[in-house]
Amino acid sequence: MSTSPVSSHIPDLNLITWYAERQESFLSRVSPWTKVALLVLVVVAVTVVRNPVILLGLYLAVLALYILARLPVGKLFGWYLFPLIFVLSLVGILAWTQPGTPVMSFVIAGFHLTLTDQGILLVLNLSEKTLTTVTFSLLFLMTTRYEYLTGMISRIFPSPLDQIFLMAYRFFFLTLDMVGSILKAVRSRGGGIVRGITTHATLFAEVFGLVFIRSFDRAERVQKAMLARGYTGSFAGATRIPRPGIAEIAALVLCALALVAGSPVASAGGW
Amino acid sequence: MAILRRESGQACPVADPDREIIHVDCAGHTYPDGSIGIHDMCFHVLSQEIVALCGPNGSGKSTLIEHLNGLLIPSEGKILVHGKVLAGAEKSGLWRVVGVVFQQSDDQLFAPTVLDDVMFGPLNLGLTRAEAGRRAEEALGAVGGAHLVHRLPNYLSGGEKRLVSIAGILAMMPQVIAFDEPTSDLDPVHAGKIEQIILDLKARFGIGVVIATHDLDLAARIADRICLVKAGSVFAEGPPEEIFYDPDLIREAGLKVPSGIQLYLDACRATGTEPVRRPVTREEIVAALKEIRGGR
Repeated sequence: MSTSPVSSHIPDLNLITWYAERQESFLSRVSPWTKVALLVLVVVAVTVVRNPVILLGLYLAVLALYILARLPVGKLFGWYLFPLIFVLSLVGILAWTQPGTPVMSFVIAGFHLTLTDQGILLVLNLSEKTLTTVTFSLLFLMTTRYEYLTGMISRIFPSPLDQIFLMAYRFFFLTLDMVGSILKAVRSRGGGIVRGITTHATLFAEVFGLVFIRSFDRAERVQKAMLARGYTGSFAGATRIPRPGIAEIAALVLCALALVAGSPVASAGGW
Repeated sequence: MAILRRESGQACPVADPDREIIHVDCAGHTYPDGSIGIHDMCFHVLSQEIVALCGPNGSGKSTLIEHLNGLLIPSEGKILVHGKVLAGAEKSGLWRVVGVVFQQSDDQLFAPTVLDDVMFGPLNLGLTRAEAGRRAEEALGAVGGAHLVHRLPNYLSGGEKRLVSIAGILAMMPQVIAFDEPTSDLDPVHAGKIEQIILDLKARFGIGVVIATHDLDLAARIADRICLVKAGSVFAEGPPEEIFYDPDLIREAGLKVPSGIQLYLDACRATGTEPVRRPVTREEIVAALKEIRGGR
């Protein structure tokens, strides 16, 4: 299996699974259910909190957990690129329309563009919220064994969603591997060298078209192999998931209480 | 047992009523695009035997295997299990009798973990989770893969994947296991392991084994009976020492004589010795070659 990532800016599933299976972090010993509950609390917190300082504190706390769990920080910063592009694509224009104290202004083609403190705050807030959620999600994925994830999926999601999740993960790896193999084959014969945007786009469209067709073909073979073992439409994960201990439940309750108690202050906007 | 040649339209009698598990009687299957998968196919599997289906690519070996498992239903002819003709819906339940190990393990291993995958078949048989788990662990142990139980299929080597694929079928305890190209893409060490497992399936579990292959060296080493397949039909069958010493028949099947046997025949020719013995396995060939050397 190919182990080279598609890009240093796309989370590498092989690496994520490797960390999850290694089980060396202290968070690996925490019940997966506790981590799911914490993830929910983090999502609620970033939804409720509007104060940028508190959001920064939350982000730094999650980042500290990530570092303490001995996960790769350098790679994490590389993986931030696409979430940040996503944030900028959402509020990049909106930031220039916010009322507030002007910080800078330009005139471009007769249009007055003014960036206010509230505009900067909007970008900052959304970036902090996004990075906090992304970091915690990766922390969760990189410290939870895959068999626990699938076990939880089959208990949380209704059918056929659970079936899709249970089967999709492995084939995501196989498909990525297929993309890697095709790209290698292209490069080995001198292809893939950037000669122009159109040539490059056509090449990648061809590669992904081929992957789609091959994936379809593989799906048929997989279905055949499943039918050969009596598949009738339902499949459940077999793993027992460790339950949270008393200390973990107590910590969760404390976090939830802190969120409820602090929400009036934290939800106030402004600096 | 001599070579049994079969012409199209000829009857397909039951070979051994006491030992016969599955019998394909003049079955035919045409794919939707009009191509013929199998035609007038006559084939059977006995308990505790290894039968090799040998033929070139596209000769119908894989199509026959899919019929044995009920993945394909013959458009003509009959399939009998223990002498009983299967009626409509029963044919699709053949997976309980015949398990299939597919050529590409990546197509067979779909579950998130090895344990999940091996438990999949037993759960479909209606076993409880505890019972299915126990069967899965036993099956993995039987193929020497007990240490793989909590591994992810993505991180297994090709040989390990093949072991898990076999365990996934063995856990269902079928009466017959059919292997489609069992050792293709494997290194010699893992190929040797798979060979040993196939021999164990027959000896320890009393399972009837079908191997579809164009690797005649493998067939010579482990098979009790060879069926030569051409254009969707078994046109000749017999013991390896008969089939592999009939070069015309092998040529007719579009195959080549196994390398060990070819070596023995070449040695006989070079020394002017008449190949009176018909060695098939490695040990037999070594003994026969020693004999030739001693006779010089």
